Amino acid sequence: MVERQSPLEPVLHPGSHGNFEHGVEIILSETRPGSILQLAAWPGQEKALMAGIRTVTGLALPDGAGGGVTDGVRSVFGFAPGKFTMVDEAEGLASAFADVVTPSIGTVTDLSHGRTAIRIAGPKAEWVLAKFFAIDFALPAFPIGAGRSTMHHDVFAQIQRTGADQFDIYVFRSFARSFWKALCHASEEVGYEVQ
Amino acid sequence: MSPRRTETGGRIDRLRTIRFTFDGAPYTGHAGDTLASALLANGVTLFGRSFKYHRPRGVLTAGVEEPNALVTVLRGEVREPNIPATMVEIYDGLAAMSQNRFPSLAWDVNAINQLGGKLLSAGFYYKTFMGPVVGPLKGTRFWMFCEHFIRRAAGLGKAGTAPDTARYERMNAFCDVLVVGSGPAGLMAARAAADQGARVILAELEPHFGGSANWSGETIDGMPAADWAARAAGQLEGHDNVRLLPRTTVWGYYDGNTLAAIERVTDHKETPDKGEPRHRYWTIRAKSVVLATGSLERPLVFPGNDRPGVMLAHAAERYANEYGVLPGHRVALFTNNDSAYRAALALKKAGAAVVAIVDARPELSSEMRKLAGETEAEIFSGHAVIATEGGKALSGFKVQRFDMASGALSGDARSIHADCLLMSGGWSPTIHLASQAGAKAEWNEALQAFLPPKPTTRQWIGAGAFTGSFSTAEAIAEGRAAGLSAAGATATPAALPAVGAAPGDPDPAPVFEIKAAGKSFVDFQHDVTADDVRLAHREGFVSVEHLKRYTTLGMATDQGKSSNIPGLAIMAEALGKPIPQVGTTRFRPPFSAVSIGSLAAERFGDLKPERLTPMHDWHVANGATMYSAGLWYRPMIYGHPGETIEQAYVREARATRESAGIVDVSTLGKIAVQGPDAAEFLDRVYTNMFSTLAVGKARYGLMLREDGLAFDDGTTWRLGEQDFLMTTTTANAGKVMQHLEYFLDVIWPELKVHVTSVTDQWAGAAIGGPNARQILAACVSGTAVDNAALPFMGIVHGEIAGVPVMICRLSFSGEMAFEVYSGAGYGTHVWEALIEAGKPFGLVTYGLEALGTLRIEKGHVTGAEIDGRTTGRDLHLDWMLSKKKPFIGSAMMDREGLIAPDRLELVGIVSLDNQPLNGGAHIVEELDEANPHGSLGHITACCYSPALGKYIALALVKGGKARRGTRAYVSDPLRNRFGPVEIVSNHFFDPDGSRMHG
Repeated sequence: MVERQSPLEPVLHPGSHGNFEHGVEIILSETRPGSILQLAAWPGQEKALMAGIRTVTGLALPDGAGGGVTDGVRSVFGFAPGKFTMVDEAEGLASAFADVVTPSIGTVTDLSHGRTAIRIAGPKAEWVLAKFFAIDFALPAFPIGAGRSTMHHDVFAQIQRTGADQFDIYVFRSFARSFWKALCHASEEVGYEVQ
Repeated sequence: MSPRRTETGGRIDRLRTIRFTFDGAPYTGHAGDTLASALLANGVTLFGRSFKYHRPRGVLTAGVEEPNALVTVLRGEVREPNIPATMVEIYDGLAAMSQNRFPSLAWDVNAINQLGGKLLSAGFYYKTFMGPVVGPLKGTRFWMFCEHFIRRAAGLGKAGTAPDTARYERMNAFCDVLVVGSGPAGLMAARAAADQGARVILAELEPHFGGSANWSGETIDGMPAADWAARAAGQLEGHDNVRLLPRTTVWGYYDGNTLAAIERVTDHKETPDKGEPRHRYWTIRAKSVVLATGSLERPLVFPGNDRPGVMLAHAAERYANEYGVLPGHRVALFTNNDSAYRAALALKKAGAAVVAIVDARPELSSEMRKLAGETEAEIFSGHAVIATEGGKALSGFKVQRFDMASGALSGDARSIHADCLLMSGGWSPTIHLASQAGAKAEWNEALQAFLPPKPTTRQWIGAGAFTGSFSTAEAIAEGRAAGLSAAGATATPAALPAVGAAPGDPDPAPVFEIKAAGKSFVDFQHDVTADDVRLAHREGFVSVEHLKRYTTLGMATDQGKSSNIPGLAIMAEALGKPIPQVGTTRFRPPFSAVSIGSLAAERFGDLKPERLTPMHDWHVANGATMYSAGLWYRPMIYGHPGETIEQAYVREARATRESAGIVDVSTLGKIAVQGPDAAEFLDRVYTNMFSTLAVGKARYGLMLREDGLAFDDGTTWRLGEQDFLMTTTTANAGKVMQHLEYFLDVIWPELKVHVTSVTDQWAGAAIGGPNARQILAACVSGTAVDNAALPFMGIVHGEIAGVPVMICRLSFSGEMAFEVYSGAGYGTHVWEALIEAGKPFGLVTYGLEALGTLRIEKGHVTGAEIDGRTTGRDLHLDWMLSKKKPFIGSAMMDREGLIAPDRLELVGIVSLDNQPLNGGAHIVEELDEANPHGSLGHITACCYSPALGKYIALALVKGGKARRGTRAYVSDPLRNRFGPVEIVSNHFFDPDGSRMHG
């Protein structure tokens, strides 16, 4: 099996960086999920799609914009009306959905190569992300599991909160290296570890 | 001990000595000092020179409103001008310079400007820079010559030219309640809101929270007010729902309760910590805002009021109480209100002699008489200061009996010896942010001040001196109520901290100016005098807006914080109108100066993100010269040692035609078009038919804009019955995506189609040339690639080196060519496998230059020709304009102007003098190098064609098709290139397509 190449390879330097006066307050990593899918429902078919997601993954999506859920292996969140980003550690999830998301419900688009997943964790995760995005990252406003679509200048990003102080960010692969460097730069003042 | 440092007192750290320089001279101060307080402590009274007249100026205030004491702060080679010395926290190694003087602050040659008072009066610029309209200098550049020297003589500090190496960052914050200002009102508001569970941000422009509590000398809750404030701030710091932002100026109030603030993170440090930004630009989105921004003391306008040593009363009080500095040893006070008596008493307690209290009011209250008695000063009620004495420092002043009602002076003038004169003309609430938010200020006759209106929504709520409630007890009560209200709670009675304060009536006498001989300054920073304001009135400027612009009153870095109201009052008197009828100007952001670096924030030095293809690192490692194409980086050439760019691309293009070449096409826009109505949608989007396209086949498509002009082109592949992969040009990928989304969302919402950018999902390699098919055959498994299995525009799926690939046979180069798509993560792996398979065939990698050469030879169009002005017909793509169906642009493409015979049409150009052609060069019928004219069109793309052995180009030329076979000229006067050309078909090479069809 050929291993997928990450766009971050030349710039992902494991170890500790930045200012450690108060210890390491950020942990950055690339999660490299096997599958990243976009699942999109036709108007009126949202519930059917959510049911399909539950059938395939066991993940029960909450109602409401930006709702999401994660079990640590698979994650899903809404990023636009009737549209969801579905992530799995394993490859091949697209084929699992092919029979469930029928043309009458919606579409499945495989973006496993097209998006790069970057995880930012630690007590200063909200602080560092606030440098990039005009989004309220406070836990009550952005609960665990929930997702958001946003931009950092030219870089489109989808963000899912996967822990109290942990966020998974999905960016276009071609922008990933640039975004990673910006993320490291922004994390310097609080000290960060790359895993 | 410094000459003016008190023995005790102040909130400075006397155990920490700080060393700094001012104009190169070494000084010391203490931690907690500002540059202003430290210099005053060292006996420095001369801080700067004024804008126009170069008059000596001292420090007028102790805060952000300082108009006089502006300095340039140096950090290495970087210089930042126009910083108020009152806002510079000293640190070891601080180097500050005075401004607008030559050769030195003490001896400034431009001080001669003081003799030219009439010449430099209001409107000087407008009257001067018009130039002579008669006489021998009319029509010459003489006044431009003069302007250079005039501009040198007038001004503030000079910006540096060294690159700023500091780091700046942007922060986004959200909160329930933003409290601006941390005096007693702000602290109470923050605490009340926080206690309700609201998320609170408290922003304070000073280094320490507490505002006036830090220097008022009052007591709150039985303790010194400063200690109370420190305790209150400490308590807030312990709340998880409170963010404290010291050194943070909220400078802009925008729609939707979005506020802008600048946090000066490291300006007070010798060196920043690793990764620490100098400034943070905060964008704060608040559900509600408490404005507790306090008030600003006003100067009085009288002759010589700008002499160093004349200072606002509260500023002197602050220097004494907060910094342990006496601004003078023999101090006098000139006031129209009670608040200044507290300042006189503070200086007395700090060790100064208070020699006189001059009050414009005829009668003093018994409470003020008692306070004045404690200062042991001689009291001059019903008097005014009519002149000051001294050179670069105050030595004394003159007082005369003054009738407040008429403004008349009478009796003999008396001289009084003093080295510091405190003045107070009342207080103006700091209503800037409310004004920015749209609130129209209301004049309060009793307070002689513009107040914010009562808010009608919870958008913002005022508290404390901001509302005109000048006592600390009122501030505390209003602050709590505002905090509760902002948090959505109802105010309930509660025991409030008791305040111990000097008595006083907050209402000043309506005295703004003492009219006597000499220059009386209204706007200290821009050297605007009371006479300038009256001159503006005499010259017909009746609107306060015009007054501001004509006199420049209220402009520059302080934005008239101390001058607006006195200037307005003088204008109102000249007009014979009450102040509220004259009105006031609307404040605009920023409240105070904001660094450009903070606005650029993280984009400073890093303007745009880089967009890289999956094979980027391979290209760099294998000698590619990369260049940017939009945000993308793409190989230009893979040059060999010693090759020019032209030699490299010619070699690459020639090798491709002779054997095979491979190019990275991952940047092409790729859009998944999916759904039951996908084919119907494409029929509407493209000019040609796609619903007839078979699964497993691709088709070239052209899109028009709604106005009928060409928009973009590319191939679209049918991967399944309801599943298409659209490719677009690299440059237009985003625009096409928006275009499709717009039509699906707005025009045809009934269509069941999803569009998704999959540009980054796929790595793309285009391999072309006579041997391309053999190379593929050598490395592809799982599918045949022969003509039967993979005809022109056919698509097959297979594997290369264990990786699934999708191959489409299509050609941009005109050769037998294939686009090989794989998952982006496998891009380099597949690319290397293709390279390896191509080695026996001499496969070359080629860059954008060769790509351009191959397509020019074939006459294929790109964004250079689809330039927003051309139609499908102009580009000879008539055959693609379906007559069987409507499509976007079809209703408009036959407009008269779009089918006119003299439109620019695509042609080929051949250089007849064997010299290179240039993009943008004009094509003309008659060559006239001296007077180039008569353009027929222009060159869009050019190259040396190895296939033809000539310099060729594509061009858009009037009636181009009919001109094929004719001679013309290239005329490029900018690059001095003139020469004969032949106009030919755009299809230079293999016009019947035999090579790509095989």
